[in-house]
Amino acid sequence: MPEKLKTEKLKTNAGRHLSKMVGDTYMDLHAKSAQGAFVVWIAINVPAELFLGFENVVYGVPESHAALTAAKGVGVLQCEKAEHMGYSMDLCSYARIDIGSVSDGGKDSPTFGLPKPDLLVSDNNNCSLLVKWFDVHHRRMGVPHFVIDVPFCYEPQKDKDRKYIIQQFNDLIRTIEEMSGQKFDMDKALAAVSNTSEGIVHWKRFLSFAENRPSGITAFDSFVQMAPFLVARGTSQFVDHYKLLAQETEQRVRDGQFPVPGEKYRLFWDNIAPWHQLRDMSGSLAKLGANIVGATYTSCIGTVEGSFDFYAFDGDDPLEYCARTQNCYICPHGMNLRGKSMQAVVEKLNIDGIVFASNRSCKPYSVTQLDQQKLMTDQFGVPSVMIDVDHADARKYSKESTFTRLEALLENIEAKRAA
Amino acid sequence: MKIDITKKLAQLKNDGRKVLGCFPLYPPLELFYAMDLVPVVLWGLRGTATDTTESDRHLQNYTCSVARHLTEFALSNGSGLLDGLFMYNACDTLRNLPEIIEKEWEKIGQALPLIKVHIPMVLPAQTDATAYFKNEINHLIKDLEERFDVLFSKDKFVQAVKQIKYVRDLMARAENRVTDGHLSFLNFVDAIHECWFSTVEEQIRILESLIDELSDEPAFSADKDSRHGVILSGILPPPTSVIHAIESSGLRIVGNDIASLGRSYASMPETREDPAAYFLDFYYQHFPCPTLLYTGDRRTTSLLGLVDKTGAKGVIFVGEKFCEYEYFEFPHLVQQLKDKGIQTLEIEIAIEDDAQTSAHDSRVSAFSEILKNNF
Ligand code: SF4
Ligand code: SF4
Repeated sequence: MPEKLKTEKLKTNAGRHLSKMVGDTYMDLHAKSAQGAFVVWIAINVPAELFLGFENVVYGVPESHAALTAAKGVGVLQCEKAEHMGYSMDLCSYARIDIGSVSDGGKDSPTFGLPKPDLLVSDNNNCSLLVKWFDVHHRRMGVPHFVIDVPFCYEPQKDKDRKYIIQQFNDLIRTIEEMSGQKFDMDKALAAVSNTSEGIVHWKRFLSFAENRPSGITAFDSFVQMAPFLVARGTSQFVDHYKLLAQETEQRVRDGQFPVPGEKYRLFWDNIAPWHQLRDMSGSLAKLGANIVGATYTSCIGTVEGSFDFYAFDGDDPLEYCARTQNCYICPHGMNLRGKSMQAVVEKLNIDGIVFASNRSCKPYSVTQLDQQKLMTDQFGVPSVMIDVDHADARKYSKESTFTRLEALLENIEAKRAA
Repeated sequence: MKIDITKKLAQLKNDGRKVLGCFPLYPPLELFYAMDLVPVVLWGLRGTATDTTESDRHLQNYTCSVARHLTEFALSNGSGLLDGLFMYNACDTLRNLPEIIEKEWEKIGQALPLIKVHIPMVLPAQTDATAYFKNEINHLIKDLEERFDVLFSKDKFVQAVKQIKYVRDLMARAENRVTDGHLSFLNFVDAIHECWFSTVEEQIRILESLIDELSDEPAFSADKDSRHGVILSGILPPPTSVIHAIESSGLRIVGNDIASLGRSYASMPETREDPAAYFLDFYYQHFPCPTLLYTGDRRTTSLLGLVDKTGAKGVIFVGEKFCEYEYFEFPHLVQQLKDKGIQTLEIEIAIEDDAQTSAHDSRVSAFSEILKNNF
């Protein structure tokens, strides 16, 4: 990243606030665990708001910890530990990072790992391999494993499926009550869900600055700013943080401060963030006058399948809302629903080209990308490119071949403009 | 692979049967038979096409060969040979296939029905999925009735359950003949494979004649007791040349924990008139398989139990490259087996191995040597 931009980025209050918030949350997690809190490890789409309905239940998200590990440059080291234990290099790199990190008590982790869990809660919605991954911990640590089973959505979520999910949330609550001896308070969960919903309003506002020309944000900023969804959902800090982020971004746009001032190409990203390449990739693209202004990965938060529009909490039943938004992340959307959401956002953001990041670590995200690419390019006339990026294992990434393709995409865009 | 799947399916169609292509491996077969449909389990499609050209337009090369062969088959000639597709929730790769296939079929004007059901993956001790599952099965019955103009009858269902019970029993008996050295594993695999693409009556005929026609002489020239027993574990049986290598290196396959073989016929629930109750038992009592998430806790004990029962000295894990379901479990299983003094070998089958398996063959020979030296 050019030095000027780097400096600007570091200067943002939201950036500073984010670092502090993430650091504090991990330290707090360790501290509370040491003081006897009930610790749950969850998949990202397990509704963390439910744990806020308890007095002293804390949670850690191995996927989020793995992303942070990769962003801090120690992903490969942790992956290798898992591979030495016999785990295949073809397995999801988040899983390998996590298993590697747990193997020596978080020795090389930027957060000293996660405190030992009392309960593991997986969710097969984003991917079902996560259940197998948590089963590894279940066997190795002897910790109970609760599996949330969410039907994949080829169509908008059906009532019968939502009821089934709510039933499981109730069972999860009962399980925690029995294991922890604590009572669940629905009002507290309701307050948490309200906070999440309010925070997402600000998040969506932050993302909306990508509509500006030049864009007020890069997708890379938004990737980094996703962290509070994983560590602070449901809290008032969550709301405050995204409010700060949105306000500050608005001010910067007003002041004419843009991440890629000479923006010539507005690109869109499809897949998980390339955690090990954030700085390098955004900087190299900026030099080419290109900005990845949006991503399916960040747009899907707070939505329901088939659309990236905000789905608001009506203030009524928190379990109902959590079940309804179970499919918000992009992976549980069927191909048609994905195409529908993507098309709308690509139009809204005036996208010149799409970067499909084919990610061998994440089949749920990547399988169907070839068809999506065809749909976007053939039917909607948006040039696109397919690059290979593993989201957390830097060994499976080649900058040279990636940028050869990205430059070809920019040439395509130019050719289309000229035509 | 000896059977010509395309020909078998064309024959079924010529006979006027309604053929339902199913995936993944454990569809509610009895229900389909009871409704006059012929379910064919779309696995083991390696060899139905010369390459994966069609599939490569849709699936990246890091998806497993099972998914790629299945897609290739469906897109190259599947639509003309099937009357519909059935799928239940599967792995992260397979769950994306129905829409890809459906779209391509639409393009060529072959809009076949695509029927989907969600099998609960919750642990029974955690959530009672009975009502949800009952609803799924009732919907499925209604859906089949409407789409195929057929009617469900309890009597026919019970009859189908009995037939399938008999088929599974025959499969287990045939496997015993492999274990006692009278049937080559290869012939056994071919017979089971043929059953996947046959009517239930034909399956009975294939299996009965396989068992009846065996001579009293062991298939192996050497005394079976001098051969070390091994168990194969994986999603699909290994390619033919690897099976050859195993059997010709002085090893005897005494059991299998293969999803498309043993895991499919190892458990049989009690006969019931109510399909929902029957299939709830079927799925929850199923022989553990990594694809059935709720069976995770039973997997190690069942594999160790199989080792004990068969007296196997080694387990060969036949990994399907890129299958996370299997690969997350191998390290733990290997360790558990090692702790019991059981030798293990992991071979990984990739799509390229359709043509080239010599590296596996040599590893199998080396493994056989290790067993000989250790026991
Ligand atoms: S496979 Fe994809 S969705 Fe699943 S844990 Fe890995 S990165 Fe997440
Ligand atoms: S082999 Fe594994 S990855 Fe492939 S289709 Fe089967 S379960 Fe899925």
